[in-house]
Amino acid sequence: MPPFEKIVAEHGPLISRIAMSYEADPTLREDLVQQIFLAVWQALPSFRADASLKTFIARIAQNRAISFVTRQVRQPPIAEMPELVEADEPNPEQSAIDASERRLLVEATRRLPVPQRQVIVLILEGFNYAEIAEMLDIAPNALALRLSRAKAALKKMLERTP
Amino acid sequence: MTDIDLERLGSVWRQQPDPEELERLQRSAAAVSRRARLAQFVDVGAAILVALVVMVLVVSSGRVETVALGGAAILVLLVSNIRLRRLRQVELRSMGGSTEDMLDQAIERVENTLKYKRFSLVAIGPALAAGYLVAWSTDRSVGSLVDSVRNLSGVGRWWAVAWLIVFAVIAIYALLSMRRSRSELERVAAMREVYRQESE
Repeated sequence: MPPFEKIVAEHGPLISRIAMSYEADPTLREDLVQQIFLAVWQALPSFRADASLKTFIARIAQNRAISFVTRQVRQPPIAEMPELVEADEPNPEQSAIDASERRLLVEATRRLPVPQRQVIVLILEGFNYAEIAEMLDIAPNALALRLSRAKAALKKMLERTP
Repeated sequence: MTDIDLERLGSVWRQQPDPEELERLQRSAAAVSRRARLAQFVDVGAAILVALVVMVLVVSSGRVETVALGGAAILVLLVSNIRLRRLRQVELRSMGGSTEDMLDQAIERVENTLKYKRFSLVAIGPALAAGYLVAWSTDRSVGSLVDSVRNLSGVGRWWAVAWLIVFAVIAIYALLSMRRSRSELERVAAMREVYRQESE
């Protein structure tokens, strides 16, 4: 097992992007990233190499992020997510994001219902269908259905964005 | 056209963060692991220290009641530590499993918490009354139970008032905490429902 520092160097950006797709508020996002790091640190001894470390970390990060947003009192019910998400306050992290396409993609992803967002984020992260189906514990046809809904919703949102 | 180019979007999504951002992530992770190690150390260290102190007190007193009380204290400490560790393991397992399982476990956890809080709220009154009953039964010189309440001395009355205040504060805290748990339960159940609908 590589040391934690090496794992963070390799998979830190993945964790950061997953946190970004669930939490728009920079302060809360920082809190979420720390919670994911802690969950990964605590879970590492239980890692069995039956899946890749990246898969293991992505699964923990997604679950922790969903648990985090579910616990937030301010979070509106999923079905009533507002059509437009307010832009983040300018900060160093945000300025690192490409001002156009990437920001729009992140915002559109945040507006997807959580189960669809989960699939889209994993696809964007480069996981293949088999890995995603295994990670989410769903049948391949259920994954295909969810992905097709997610793609349609994402496309609609990206097209609607000026 | 119904499709979007996910491969191209993927490369946009995975743009390498700048070195400053990477550095910040590493600092944050290092701080988290340092705090987690320290918490582990404090957890185990505090439990050992308390157990040692209790053992020293028990051995130095040599009285049967002290031995029994000390033994019970160490047992409670041990059981609560084991319980805490198991709870953490369960939570960790749920983080490594499917999201639906994680949400099901979260619902179960919040429901159990609610049950526990409801029980505590209902039980605290009878527990205080039972405590008074035990105290009264060990000192029958104060007369009947009703007399003992009527004839409470000045200090005794203040104690009774203090206990009532404590009871009221605990009850209010429990009610607020139950409201928070109920609202959390609603949010987790709503999220679970979204997953159920998605799989239909």
